[in-house]
Amino acid sequence: MATHAPVAHPGGIAGHIHQEPQGFVRRYVFSIDHKIIGIQYLITGFVFFILAGLLAETIRTQLLNANGGFVSPETYNEVYSIHGSAMVWLVVIPILTGGFGNLVFPLQIGARDVAFPWLNLLSFWIFPVAGLMLFSSFLMGAPTAGWTEYPPVSLQGAAGTSMWAAAIFLVGVSSTLTGINFVVTLLKMRAPGMTFTRMPLFCWAQFATAPLLMIATTALAAALAALFIERQFGVPFFDPTKGGSAVLWQHMFWFYSHPAVYIMILPAFGIISEVLPTFARKPIFGYKLIAFSSMAIALAGFMVWAHHMFTSGLAPYLQLPFMILTFAIGVPTGIKIFSWTATLWGGKIHLTTAMLFAIGFIALFTCGGITGIFLAAVPYDLDVHGTYFVVAHFHYVLVGGSMMGVFAGMYYWFPKMSGRLLNETLGKIHFWLFFIGFNGTFLPMHWLGVEGMPRWVASYDPQFEFWNRFASISSYVMALGMLVFFYNVISSARFGKRSGPNPWNGRTLEWMIPSPPHYYNFKNIPTVYGLPYDFSHPLPYKGLEDELNDSPPAAAGAH
Amino acid sequence: MAVASVPHGGVHVEQPDQLYNEIRDLRLQGFLLALISDCVLFSSFVFAYLYLRNSGQGWPPPGIPRLDVPFAAWNSVLLFGSGATMHYALENHKHNNFMKYMLFLIATIILGAGFLGGQGYEYTHLIVSEHITWSGSGIFGASFFTLTGMHGFHVFVGVIFLTVLLMQSAAGVYTREKFFGITAGTLYWHFVDVIWVLLFSIFYLI
Ligand code: HEM
Ligand SMILES: [Cu+2]
Repeated sequence: MATHAPVAHPGGIAGHIHQEPQGFVRRYVFSIDHKIIGIQYLITGFVFFILAGLLAETIRTQLLNANGGFVSPETYNEVYSIHGSAMVWLVVIPILTGGFGNLVFPLQIGARDVAFPWLNLLSFWIFPVAGLMLFSSFLMGAPTAGWTEYPPVSLQGAAGTSMWAAAIFLVGVSSTLTGINFVVTLLKMRAPGMTFTRMPLFCWAQFATAPLLMIATTALAAALAALFIERQFGVPFFDPTKGGSAVLWQHMFWFYSHPAVYIMILPAFGIISEVLPTFARKPIFGYKLIAFSSMAIALAGFMVWAHHMFTSGLAPYLQLPFMILTFAIGVPTGIKIFSWTATLWGGKIHLTTAMLFAIGFIALFTCGGITGIFLAAVPYDLDVHGTYFVVAHFHYVLVGGSMMGVFAGMYYWFPKMSGRLLNETLGKIHFWLFFIGFNGTFLPMHWLGVEGMPRWVASYDPQFEFWNRFASISSYVMALGMLVFFYNVISSARFGKRSGPNPWNGRTLEWMIPSPPHYYNFKNIPTVYGLPYDFSHPLPYKGLEDELNDSPPAAAGAH
Repeated sequence: MAVASVPHGGVHVEQPDQLYNEIRDLRLQGFLLALISDCVLFSSFVFAYLYLRNSGQGWPPPGIPRLDVPFAAWNSVLLFGSGATMHYALENHKHNNFMKYMLFLIATIILGAGFLGGQGYEYTHLIVSEHITWSGSGIFGASFFTLTGMHGFHVFVGVIFLTVLLMQSAAGVYTREKFFGITAGTLYWHFVDVIWVLLFSIFYLI
């Protein structure tokens, strides 16, 4: 056995082995271990997913009949506002960044933890508090202007909107801290030899997302603070009758929220880029293209926000540039889709559940991307803006994209978290119920939108009743799929088949260590000398020999 | 600058502590990134201010008197001066001139507090004599008090930050090799300075 050389690797102190804290509370509740924090994010995120999902089913139940009648129109407005806000800020973003980000990328770059473990603990605990605040706004009159809360509507109404703003502000603080933590970790704590061009693509995706978390989220915080101040202290920013401007809110909001849609999709791209090569047993096609297109998307994301404002008083001479810029974003996205398809081409495909979700992702996200291009065309947008076509578009990207990515990641990394496999039969049932239910719910919304059914209505013209009913019933099928999933997770966590360290024959670093990994991740920090995903070559890592035997770490506490 | 004969904080070590420098770098990067986010916060409000200002009602809006530019300019001199003293404080620390370092740090704190006093005087004048308020003077009051108030709050935090540094230095916490806190304090103070250059230009000069 090689003696352990005192490494001067870039990990600094965080590369040294910490003492594992003792006791349930310090280990699992107020943990500073990135893996535990990742799992905490996942659990909390899925709890909020259930709550926000119940609100979604409330929406669909209301729309079963043309004249509504399940809840009052006022309640209906509150329900869809909280549904959207919760799904975006409490489910998709925290699960993808805080959850999978924390759980996976420090392992993949060969680090022992993130750069600032205590900051990580703080970021996590802000999140459930903010989530409870968001849901508690129901008790004081929830916001009614949708997840975008456009003034002047959001300036009126009950105290719940201020609570909403405060809650989202807090989630923003948490995201910003996470972003800072991730950037420093990725810059400073990679194992020796883990150059940027050898980094797994999931790490690239997190690296592209982190600046968005830091920068875009802060811009949103400013908008939320202004809204809060205006509502609580009567200071005019957005109220046109006092010299403010409602369009100003839209600029501030969308300057954040367009980049935010990339916060919601880039990590999912990363997951897909891990799952596909593993189950196609092929190196990913166009590694560098995928990596750099993530960065391109992140950068370009800041330049297209005004495509959400074509109909709200954006100067006409600005429409054309924003339209062209938005079209341009389709290019790096298209590159990715091309690379993924080429990876599948001629691969030895293993249709595991994770792989099914990954393939489903490609199909559904592509549809969502194409309708995005439609919407970016100003003349077409003028027609369908504010209709169900927009709802269809963003659900195809957010649910068909981001959430399918989340599920792929769950089936893929669950063994690493728990040491046990999720049940594949239940997994496939989950996939098919969800996939069919999803398309049944959201596909008809395209034509409802084209026919002119408006968004944000508690009752509608009877001519739309058939497809609405179809969508509502399909949404119950989707919910059934989710029940199967939750049953699977809970039962497999206790009774699932043991997975061993590397059930999928993965080639990235997280698969080289036990499942679940030790507190300090690696006994010895490995050295990297080759590319990930290169299935025809031996593993490109040195120094992993005794990771899998149970002897105590070679140099615990040394130096 | 000459290296002082008596190093403070105990032993004089030529070779910097390798490990310590690595952590310091990590923390410094984190701190820098946090400042960048803070910068975005200010930029958003600056954008909002410029947007509202150009939304067509003329500037300053009717009924708002002109700001007292010379007074604000003198007050700014205090802040910019404190940027210089802070710079020399760090330099002297690096070169082991402990007494000079302490004196420059104290000067910085006094200048910063002086700026806050000036801002307090300006606010009092605006509110009491000119009847301009945060919520009652339209978009002028909203953007002026929000932005300058945010900045003033940062200066206030900075003064406390530097005071803590002063006490820690007196207690011998920082050595020639370990002075992350001082570097961070300097960065923060320069950051506050730069923001003020921007705010001063857009509120008083243009
Ligand atoms: C990458 C994942 C994406 C996500 C998560 C996403 C999400 C969304 C959301 C939530 C909305 C609705 C905003 C609202 O409530 O009014 C929206 C609208 C829009 N999206 Fe996307 N989108 C994505 C990709 C794209 C792409 C690739 C394009 C164009 C190339 C695009 C173009 C648009 C346009 C133009 C609108 C505005 C439609 C309107 O309000 O009339 N999106 N998107
Ligand atoms: Cu957008």
